[in-house]
Amino acid sequence: MTTLAVRLPLPAGLRTVRGATGITLVGAVVLAGLLAPVLTGTDPTAQSSLALAGPSGNHLFGTDDLGRDLFSRVLYGIRTDLLIGLTAVPAGALSGCALALLSGLSRWADLAVQRVFDLLLAFPGLILALAVTAVLGPGRWPVIIVIALAEIPGFGRQLRAGILVQREREYALAARVGGASRLRVLLRHVLPNAVDPLIVQSAVALSLAVFIEGAMSFLGVGVRPPEPSLGGILSQSTAYLATHPAFAAAPLIAVTALVLGLTLIAEALNEGIRR
Amino acid sequence: MSAVLEVRDLHVEFAGAEAVAGVGFELAAGETLGIVGESGSGKSTTALALLRMLPAGGRISVGSVLLDGQDLATLPEPALRAVRGRRIAMIFQDPMSSLNPVLTVGRQLDEALRAHGSDGRAKRAARAVELLDLVGIPDAARRLRDHPHQFSGGQRQRVMIALALAGDPDVLVADEPTTALDPTVQQQILRLLERINRERGTALVLISHDLGVIAQTCRRVLVMHQGRVVEHGPTEEVLTRPRHTYTARLLAAVPRLDEPSSAAAHATPAGDPLLTVSGLRGTYGPRRRPVTALDGVDLVLRPGETLGLVGESGSGKSTLARALVRAHPPTAGDIRYRGEDLAVSRAARREIQMVFQDPYSSLNPRMTVGQILAEPLIAHGLGDRAERSPRVAELLRQVGLDPASADRHPRAFSGGQRQRIGIARALAPRPSVLICDEPVSALDVSVQAQMLDLLAGLQRDLGLAILFIAHDLAVVRQVSHRIAVMHQGRIVETGPADQIVTDPGHPYTAALLAAVPHLTTRSTV
Amino acid sequence: MRTFLLKRLPSALLVLLAASFLIFLILRLIPGDPATSLAGPDAGPEAVAAVRARLGLDQPLPGQYLHWLGHLVTGNLGPSYAIGGQVADLIGEGLGNTVELALGAVVLVIALALPLGVLGATVRRGPVAAAVRALTTAVLAVPPFVTGVLLVLVFAVTLRLLPPGGHESILDQPDIGVQYLLLPAVCLALPSAAVLARYLGDGLERALAEDYVRTATALGVSRRRIVWLHALPNALPSAITVLGLQIGQLLGGAVLVEAIFAWPGLGQLAEQGVLRRDYPVVQDLLLLLVAVYVAVQLLTDLAYAWSDPRIRWE
Repeated sequence: MTTLAVRLPLPAGLRTVRGATGITLVGAVVLAGLLAPVLTGTDPTAQSSLALAGPSGNHLFGTDDLGRDLFSRVLYGIRTDLLIGLTAVPAGALSGCALALLSGLSRWADLAVQRVFDLLLAFPGLILALAVTAVLGPGRWPVIIVIALAEIPGFGRQLRAGILVQREREYALAARVGGASRLRVLLRHVLPNAVDPLIVQSAVALSLAVFIEGAMSFLGVGVRPPEPSLGGILSQSTAYLATHPAFAAAPLIAVTALVLGLTLIAEALNEGIRR
Repeated sequence: MSAVLEVRDLHVEFAGAEAVAGVGFELAAGETLGIVGESGSGKSTTALALLRMLPAGGRISVGSVLLDGQDLATLPEPALRAVRGRRIAMIFQDPMSSLNPVLTVGRQLDEALRAHGSDGRAKRAARAVELLDLVGIPDAARRLRDHPHQFSGGQRQRVMIALALAGDPDVLVADEPTTALDPTVQQQILRLLERINRERGTALVLISHDLGVIAQTCRRVLVMHQGRVVEHGPTEEVLTRPRHTYTARLLAAVPRLDEPSSAAAHATPAGDPLLTVSGLRGTYGPRRRPVTALDGVDLVLRPGETLGLVGESGSGKSTLARALVRAHPPTAGDIRYRGEDLAVSRAARREIQMVFQDPYSSLNPRMTVGQILAEPLIAHGLGDRAERSPRVAELLRQVGLDPASADRHPRAFSGGQRQRIGIARALAPRPSVLICDEPVSALDVSVQAQMLDLLAGLQRDLGLAILFIAHDLAVVRQVSHRIAVMHQGRIVETGPADQIVTDPGHPYTAALLAAVPHLTTRSTV
Repeated sequence: MRTFLLKRLPSALLVLLAASFLIFLILRLIPGDPATSLAGPDAGPEAVAAVRARLGLDQPLPGQYLHWLGHLVTGNLGPSYAIGGQVADLIGEGLGNTVELALGAVVLVIALALPLGVLGATVRRGPVAAAVRALTTAVLAVPPFVTGVLLVLVFAVTLRLLPPGGHESILDQPDIGVQYLLLPAVCLALPSAAVLARYLGDGLERALAEDYVRTATALGVSRRRIVWLHALPNALPSAITVLGLQIGQLLGGAVLVEAIFAWPGLGQLAEQGVLRRDYPVVQDLLLLLVAVYVAVQLLTDLAYAWSDPRIRWE
């Protein structure tokens, strides 16, 4: 028990009510997405004449403006969003962390890396999204690239700040005096002590990914229709919000549950670290 | 004389655990009382409980704190606020963090004055100048506009005292008020507290781990151990004829400046110098405005020798230590290990190791003790995986720890045990020189004594040369063959340990010696 | 202050230069030839070549890049390719509107975040604290475009209190302009306000645990004064940094909000520019936004230094 607590100090924060709620919400949404082929036999892209129908036995969440089954579209949309998030966030996180480690090696590298972060932050995200999509054409990859680019400075700056703090601790000096090389001090001693905040950042980053996906769909440069994505369904539904609010309900609930869950997890982890 | 403060059977609980168990004492108006104890004795908790300012989770479970008959333990919060600062005030250990960094000193004094009566801004400003004047800040009127970081450490503590005096309290509680300060500054602050007690009749409760500080300042003393008062009486009596065994043990562990060095009993320096430092200069800080830390340092260290290096903060002693382990490159001069330039000597990197001051931050919290001790072995390519674990066990035995504790993390150990791990790590690559930077100053006196014994034993067994850096002259005299005194980046005096203490040749050394609080009691007032 | 600016200006200019290079490259990567689309579907190769020569697109890329930089330095931005009119005029029109929206949002962010942050830090338990937490979490959990659509649905469609979209200049007709501004500004401000309230609350909580707060308590200073006078100034510097970053995000977010509320600002212009491959408009616009961001960061650094005397005096 004690060794477990020592090895995994973070999950302690998740044992709070807030953390458990977060995990339940995220778990439910993820499970629904993973089990989509089991839960529904309907093709998410199959159109029918029954447009904008309310929830019924055949169509649990009703149908959209093209008569497609919303239940199936939302489930497969979750899959799309998860796929995008789980590709883009690790890519952005790894790039950001690699840059941060690079900045830990020399003063000049540090200056250069900081300017790279500045540059990435300075680009207005959605206009960048428009430009990237114009280059690559609409689809999944531009969305993934835009999200990954947007995540780099968040992870990178956080790790860099952690490295700066930890490097000044005496144990780092002790390792250096003990004969360890600069690189070994950085990777073996400093890095493990600086990664905790990144786990929180990952949860935040995943929710940001859902937002960016949605915003890009809303601007018409997201995942290419008819492939379903949560943001795509939501932006489609906004035109009918006044007349057919049920259309927006299911995707909205899925997005909100996912992001709320991730936010709660991030908060719980954060409290766990601070304690 | 009537009691202004009377504490009866005080108990303080933290989440069910008792930190203070049945403390009681009386304090007459204008009296001085010391509370002494080691870490965890409950002395600071007692101090905070007097103003009912316990940190979150703590509460007074039983007992009363009667200030002029009014029980602060049960007083409602608004009434308590009117008492704090006005009748009973407090000063804290770290004057830097205890003053608000973004408010001017004038503003903070104004806040303190305003909290108890609103005389009008102009009157308060005049009073603030008076207060700064009283605590000995020169040019008080101008300094009101300065922020805390623009004052020196000692001046900050003076400002803190001025704040505490703003409400003209009857009782001043001082929690380790000089622990963060250099000896000469400590002496000035203690004199100031004495003067305030004498001239204004403010009763003083002084909490300290340092018996010398209490002996100098307080007429009565309370000895605390594990949340209880084990002994209580006039300071002179307690110090000369302790009745409780704990007090006796504590007194025995305190290093005395007047005791001769015991270094010669453990090892005799012999042979050619291991380390020769000559004309060393070094700076730190930003490149554009570097601060000179080392201004031409020369010293020699022989095998089996302990060279004590004393000096106050900013004297350059830590910079010197870092230069010797090549963690901070000097700007000029040279360091030779067995005659070889340190910068090119491959052996020196392994032969010179370091023991750090802070047993908490100097061990990597993510590694087990075994991993921590194996790191230098891996770095220097000493032995393979199979040979490392018996070596780790041997190292742990050498510093008096159980070899089975190798797979535990540093947090499972006490401060003294952690410092032993730090020493074991330094010994791992079999060095011939140990640089110890304030190795015992973060430890309680009883633990400190054990650590000094350990170092002496290691020197005897391994023939180590030790550079022992500390600010406590009594400790340094005890362990050193020779002492070097450092001041403003220079070594002002070097000589045999006993001679430096009994017959100092440099006025700065004499000033340092005069500032050491002795275990003799304060002359009657 | 001058030395402070002198120290930071070179890196700011470096970022701008790097950004201009990247912007230029990205736009040249977009498939399709603006000359072909400009010349029209029926144009022959000669006509296309003529258009290309007129726009300078027949020059080698480094030449085009330098040409553009030269234009930027002289302030002569030239004509747009596809949208029509001078680039400077197009951007000038949109800029005023976007600045109006962004300023409105910043005012709202501060007005919402300050009380919420203080409330969250001082009332640590009980229903009020829970409500503040729930509110900020909820705002963070709903995508901004959904918030926007919901705002329209409630305040414009159902309650008919405010117009669902469009723009009236707040300078010409303040009373009507405010009505048009309110919903988009709220939509833009909410996520940033929630983030700032969190940071401010956390920072304030940390400050309240500091030794100097213990000192003030020991001196008998009232709780209210401790929070507002002793702790808050210490929490401000880091909150200012976050605010600066959030203002940067607002500019990006404005694209979306302008689309939802049909607000004729730079976001709309950018969208059109990209879709119609109008290089000059997009280039200049992107660089302008990067420049604004960099300027905001400089101001943030200045404000940070100003709010922390330890830096101010160095």
